[in-house]
Amino acid sequence: MTLPVLLDFDSQIYSGDALQKAAYRCIDRITVQLERNGSLLSCRIESNLGVDGYDFAQAVEEFQKNVLDYQLRERIRVETEPLRNLVLGIAFSRTGLQGGE
Amino acid sequence: MSKFLDKGAFLPPSDYKLLPLKFDRLSHGQYVITNFVGEYLVIADDDLHNLIAHTLTPSAAIYPDLLAKHFVYAPGQQAPLQLLALKARTKYARLANFTNLHIFVVTLRCDHSCPYCQVSRQSEDRAAFDMTTEVADKAIEFVFRSPSPAIKVEFQGGEPLLNFEMVKYVVRGTKEKNKVFQRDLQFVIATTLSLLTDEILAFCAEHDVYLSSSLDGPEDLHNANRPRPGRDSHQKFVAGLEKARGALGYDRISALMTTTDKSLPRVKEIIDEYLRLGFGGIFLRALSPYGFAIKTKKFASYDTAEWLNFYKEGLAYIIELNRAGIPFVEYYASIILTKMLTPADPGFVDLMSPSGAGIAAIVFNYDGAVYPSDESRMLAEMDDYKFRLGHLLENSYEEIILSDVLMDALETTYTGSVPMCADCAFEPYCGADPVYHYATQGDMVGRKPESPFCHRNMEVFKHLIELMRDDAEVRRIFYGWANNC
Repeated sequence: MTLPVLLDFDSQIYSGDALQKAAYRCIDRITVQLERNGSLLSCRIESNLGVDGYDFAQAVEEFQKNVLDYQLRERIRVETEPLRNLVLGIAFSRTGLQGGE
Repeated sequence: MSKFLDKGAFLPPSDYKLLPLKFDRLSHGQYVITNFVGEYLVIADDDLHNLIAHTLTPSAAIYPDLLAKHFVYAPGQQAPLQLLALKARTKYARLANFTNLHIFVVTLRCDHSCPYCQVSRQSEDRAAFDMTTEVADKAIEFVFRSPSPAIKVEFQGGEPLLNFEMVKYVVRGTKEKNKVFQRDLQFVIATTLSLLTDEILAFCAEHDVYLSSSLDGPEDLHNANRPRPGRDSHQKFVAGLEKARGALGYDRISALMTTTDKSLPRVKEIIDEYLRLGFGGIFLRALSPYGFAIKTKKFASYDTAEWLNFYKEGLAYIIELNRAGIPFVEYYASIILTKMLTPADPGFVDLMSPSGAGIAAIVFNYDGAVYPSDESRMLAEMDDYKFRLGHLLENSYEEIILSDVLMDALETTYTGSVPMCADCAFEPYCGADPVYHYATQGDMVGRKPESPFCHRNMEVFKHLIELMRDDAEVRRIFYGWANNC
């Protein structure tokens, strides 16, 4: 049985949303329990049944990379969401699909 | 004084604004970035971080591509937003046309007994498994409720030629009604070709009917996959193909293959057989997790990794053929490449979001039940009626199309809001496929990290992008596939 891995993330830098998404993406190999401890977000990472040794270590590494990726994705989303809505608004205006046009 | 501005005025602005983008990791420390209209760029790790931190300089080699593909724009410019909107509109134009493909299951009876087949019945009982004229009349009425200017009617089975009288009835009935509606009609019969006669071909020639058939590879493989009395399925296929091409024209007959465990080590032979028989391409398909494929354990007989090896080996071989001057297309790649390299959406039901189930294609079963996809009627043949939308003799068009079953499936599985899909760089190329996820995970959305559909498609998307990144000649070939030339 592989021992759980404990990781702490500074909540000033990483959001719970990014951690949850990163954990979800690895759900086929690991299970992540997330807890808030003061300014830290603590992750207890356990391997799924049948995932041991190298595969588990690889999944934990993957999880950490995913956290960084999802944090960046969040930054992009926050910055570009109004533009996305604007562009889609322009795209679907004057299509004749809404009544009264 | 000069009429022209100083050349400094034409330098790219030092500041830029990000447009919506998603990214995912590729091999060699690189990333792919995509936008919601499907444009993509391969970008180095450093460039991505600089881009997002607004520290990328206009002199960076990738900057012009970022501008051209609408990942950034200069403050104050309006054209990039308008162009992006235009591309979004083009990409989603198909949605407004609603259902194009209408599948008539005219019989479940079949002369083959393929172990992976979803639905066929070895039965002489016509009354039990054939569509009636009453059901067909209602189905034809239903077809013309679709606003789509182009309507494709596809006959499936079983073997539709075992109920050819019903095929004729529907073709004539649809054409008669179309004198009023004036849609662009197309008819296709999905058939093994084994029961083709001169009379059937004469009818197909008169009414411009296409034939879509099945070829699993060389004779021994095809016959092993597709048993029929006499063990002559391949022989019948080849004879039927020749006859049909003579009567209807060379390009009126297409073929699809299904990958079984027996196919896995033989992809080159399978492709060679398609070439030998004069086909211009092949669709390297994975087995669907439905019907008899599950009952006979065929679905579990190979996993996603094995299929991906099969696919990549086949694709590499096809690329070599093209390099050698033999034009040949892998159709699954060509569908995806159309999404990656053009603003068009090819409308492939499995790779649509909102799901194509019900709104891009709809199925009228022989017994009058209506399903949102061929796969969902296959589930029903296993006594799972989760996706049964209603019945032609009992429910109106509105009741069927607006049924909770369909609305829930479309709404809950939209990839723009599904966990993992919503952030995935490959989402513009992918699809929702609620029936697949329900069949494999018991949930229409499904957990994507555990989904063979997700694993298979993500790998194929990455593979295609990496092939284009690494080889200019492959890029040229793929542009040809994406643009049908």
